Amino acid sequence: MFRYVVRKAVGWLVMIIVATNATYFLASWFLDPRSNYRDLRPVRTDEQISNALAPYGLDPRTSVLSRWWHWLTDVVTRFDWGHSPTGVPVNSELPHRILVSGQLILVGVVLSVVLGVALGVYTASRQYGAVDRVTQTLSVVLYNVPTVVSALGLVLVAISLNQHLGFTFLHVAGANTAGGVDGFWPNVLDRLNHLILPTVNLTLTGYVSWHLTQRALLLDALNADYVRTARATGLTRAQAIRRHALRASLIPTATSIAFTIPAVLTGAIITETVFGWEGMGRYFIQTINKNDVHGAVAVAAFGAVMTAIGAILADIATVALDPRVRVS
Amino acid sequence: MTGALLSVRDLHVTFPSERGPVEAVRGVSFDIHRGRTLALVGESGSGKSATAMAAVGLLPPNAKITGEVSLDGRELLGLSDRQWSGVRGKRIGVVFQDPLSALTPILSIGRQLADAVRVHTDLSKKQAWTRAVELLDLVGIADPATRAQEFPHQFSGGMRQRVVIALAIANDPDLIIADEPTTALDVTVQAQILDVLEVAKAETGAGVLLITHDLGVVAGHADDVAVMYAGRIVERAPVKRLYRAPAMPYTLGLIGSVPDPHATHRRPLVPIDGEPPSPLDRPPGCPFAPRCPLVVDACRAAEPELIPIEDEHTVACIRAEDVVGQRPDEVFEGALAAPARAVDAEPVLRVRGLGKTFPITKGTIARRQVGTLHAVSDVSFEIGPGETFCLVGESGSGKTTTLLEILRLRPPETGTVEVLGRDLATTPAREIATELRRAVQLVMQDPQAALDPRLPVFDLLAEPMRAAGFEAAAIRTRVTELLDLVGLPPDSLDRFPAAFSGGQRQRLAIARGLATKPRLLALDEPVSALDVSVQASVLNLLAHLKNELGLVLLVVAHDLAVVRHIADRIAVMYLGHVIETGPAEQLFAAPRHPYTQALLSAVPIPDPERERARRRIVLSGEQPSAAALPAGCVFADRCQLRPTLSEELQNRCRTQRPALRDPDEVSGVSEVSGVDVACHAVNPPSDLTRAASGKEGRP
Repeated sequence: MFRYVVRKAVGWLVMIIVATNATYFLASWFLDPRSNYRDLRPVRTDEQISNALAPYGLDPRTSVLSRWWHWLTDVVTRFDWGHSPTGVPVNSELPHRILVSGQLILVGVVLSVVLGVALGVYTASRQYGAVDRVTQTLSVVLYNVPTVVSALGLVLVAISLNQHLGFTFLHVAGANTAGGVDGFWPNVLDRLNHLILPTVNLTLTGYVSWHLTQRALLLDALNADYVRTARATGLTRAQAIRRHALRASLIPTATSIAFTIPAVLTGAIITETVFGWEGMGRYFIQTINKNDVHGAVAVAAFGAVMTAIGAILADIATVALDPRVRVS
Repeated sequence: MTGALLSVRDLHVTFPSERGPVEAVRGVSFDIHRGRTLALVGESGSGKSATAMAAVGLLPPNAKITGEVSLDGRELLGLSDRQWSGVRGKRIGVVFQDPLSALTPILSIGRQLADAVRVHTDLSKKQAWTRAVELLDLVGIADPATRAQEFPHQFSGGMRQRVVIALAIANDPDLIIADEPTTALDVTVQAQILDVLEVAKAETGAGVLLITHDLGVVAGHADDVAVMYAGRIVERAPVKRLYRAPAMPYTLGLIGSVPDPHATHRRPLVPIDGEPPSPLDRPPGCPFAPRCPLVVDACRAAEPELIPIEDEHTVACIRAEDVVGQRPDEVFEGALAAPARAVDAEPVLRVRGLGKTFPITKGTIARRQVGTLHAVSDVSFEIGPGETFCLVGESGSGKTTTLLEILRLRPPETGTVEVLGRDLATTPAREIATELRRAVQLVMQDPQAALDPRLPVFDLLAEPMRAAGFEAAAIRTRVTELLDLVGLPPDSLDRFPAAFSGGQRQRLAIARGLATKPRLLALDEPVSALDVSVQASVLNLLAHLKNELGLVLLVVAHDLAVVRHIADRIAVMYLGHVIETGPAEQLFAAPRHPYTQALLSAVPIPDPERERARRRIVLSGEQPSAAALPAGCVFADRCQLRPTLSEELQNRCRTQRPALRDPDEVSGVSEVSGVDVACHAVNPPSDLTRAASGKEGRP
């Protein structure tokens, strides 16, 4: 099992390297850092602009290969992800943003999966019951609500709730109260409070597909012959589902968790924008708008790492659920 | 009757459906006693499985069940799921039809067995595991301690069915319900599994409810038989009495429509016209009346009651007295005509040394070949005009691959294929497409899947003709002609395949195959997806078409009994090799190759007295993988004859592959039988003394 996971992890490492470097070339091709200087007054010549960009490794007069090599050497030797066209080091922007986005995505994905799978399992074993019909309708409706709409809706609900209560029960903007809160625990509570609404939003838009696919998967497994065999040995229906059908039906779910992380990352961009979070999602938009090649590549690398982490976790879950993997 | 183990009284099972309630079981009553086997016989939709599942409480919750089912006097219907779980597995064990899907894929075999033991006992995990290994040993799994740790996908079909039987008897039940336990298995494996079931029955002393559609299986293993039709028992008798003197025309027809591979001469096969009625649309009166040749007006007035006509023999037929003592071919018309003899002429198809391999690859990104699967090796045969040639073998023997390699109409990987005297390797592709393609057509196994559900009949039949470039007017007349040819009503032209029953669909598929007026019609298991009573009528149709149109039929089948009734010549395949070939009559009368003998011996005879009296050859093990062919005879590992041979000959079996030769020619008998056999024991190699091979290949 250990060898299996290690082999998978090495594969993912290669994938991260390939994806990040490919992004570097794509970004260098599409983004033109010189345009940041063109609108400045007094008007500068192309040469002046290129000279200004040169210290950041963005000088368009050098070949893209030598710029790439320079960037790669810095990343590998000093873990220096470069500078923006205006000279802001990417490394100084990353840590707090990764923390902010990481907690949002992590909590969002975990809650979505747990809620979705639980609902899927509950409703599959009570197919066409009242709960099944109601949750199914709700899920289909939510599936069709764009993230922006649900985020703004949540903000409106929270604001009217706060006004009704007379104090700020739920924070609707930012990752923490501006200026900070004194003390360790109040600070943690403050951060958690800020986390509530964005997480709820990511969960609401994320759980639906888990609910619907898990329900379908388990329904398939419920009608499988081996569940009938298990019942014939004397297990009750509930026991047979738990011991035989559920485990088998969770395997495809576990496998697919990894590949929803890019989608969640995209969803987080909108969520972060609406809730005023300074996370990786917003940074992604900013870097593209500002033709920040190095920043955009750093975001892509972050996404690749998150996907790889998700995939390795999914592999471990698959191995735990499906002992056949260990044998072959 | 008193003291019955399981007693079922007036059982009704109704399923809701979109087109109204479906009465699957309508008033079924029977008793099962300890140590005895009751067979419930019927075709698909007769309600036999629903009856059995009602007796273990495994029907879907939307089924409505009324009546009484009692086990040792304790009423079972109406138990809660929790109460049922104390009965299932402990008092009643169940063996299901399809062993491939009956075991949980993600749990080890031993774990599943140990779990089953622990459901009803307080054994520790370790003790339960020991018991699981014991059970595996009991059902004949070699090296049970190691194999218990393996997963279902590492077991073959027959092995998995042994495991399912082990699960059923894990807690020493009083009743074993076996629902079509051997239907999904090959014939030599079927014989093994039936033996295991007998062992299980002897070990537990349980009563057995055996559900099957195969009257051959019933003849060998049941004590009493109940025949079901349209949700009711229509006849019930001790097994010998039922086969000797059936009193219901349906039973008579069933017995008559089961091909008997061991009959001394090819007796006519009787078809039962029509198909079982749909449960939503049952006729008033006797449900069999529309298909019954002895029907009188009174039959259509009211459904007959099940009444005793003799001790322990009850029947639901008002004409029972007229039926007793009749033979199937006296009652049912249109008995299958024996096929005409082939005439010597230029063969329609000639195959020489045909071979086909598949690479076995490993790895997802960089695929590398790790082995070669020899699906077909050195297969040669020819088919003359007006002849029916059958390729017979168990699954994995390469018979379908052979068929598809021929139908591909491309130069084969190795060997030559000549169609209508033209070598595929030298004929230009254009000529193959225009001339040969329409001369060779295929009918597939499953008519359900072979016909596009969105094309009406007219288009289904016209499609091959359009592809062959027929004129529109010619197509129109030909389509009506085809419907007539296969016996479908002419008004079915604008209907869709879904409107037809299984047998009718297979007729449609045959009509489609005949559309371009082919010389050679290849059929891949043409009747194996059909009910027994319908099989006979499709086989009849094929024989009729052959005589009428002078068609050449190339049939692939696993069912020797079916083959016997249509084949002129047969080739028996094992692991991609033809091991025996010759005229059907000779092959069935005196099989030479030990595998052919075992294969024939494994087919149960639909006659209890002969079936129980004969000595059967039960092969050990299963057909190995074609990825690692043995150096010598492909059958050597399982051969029942080899241990009796001289050491010298045994060595030869292991090291040298026998060639296909006529044994009589070899031994110098003047009259040549036309049978070729690939066996060292039957064809003693000339360099070995005659004394060493003195005991010819007949045990």
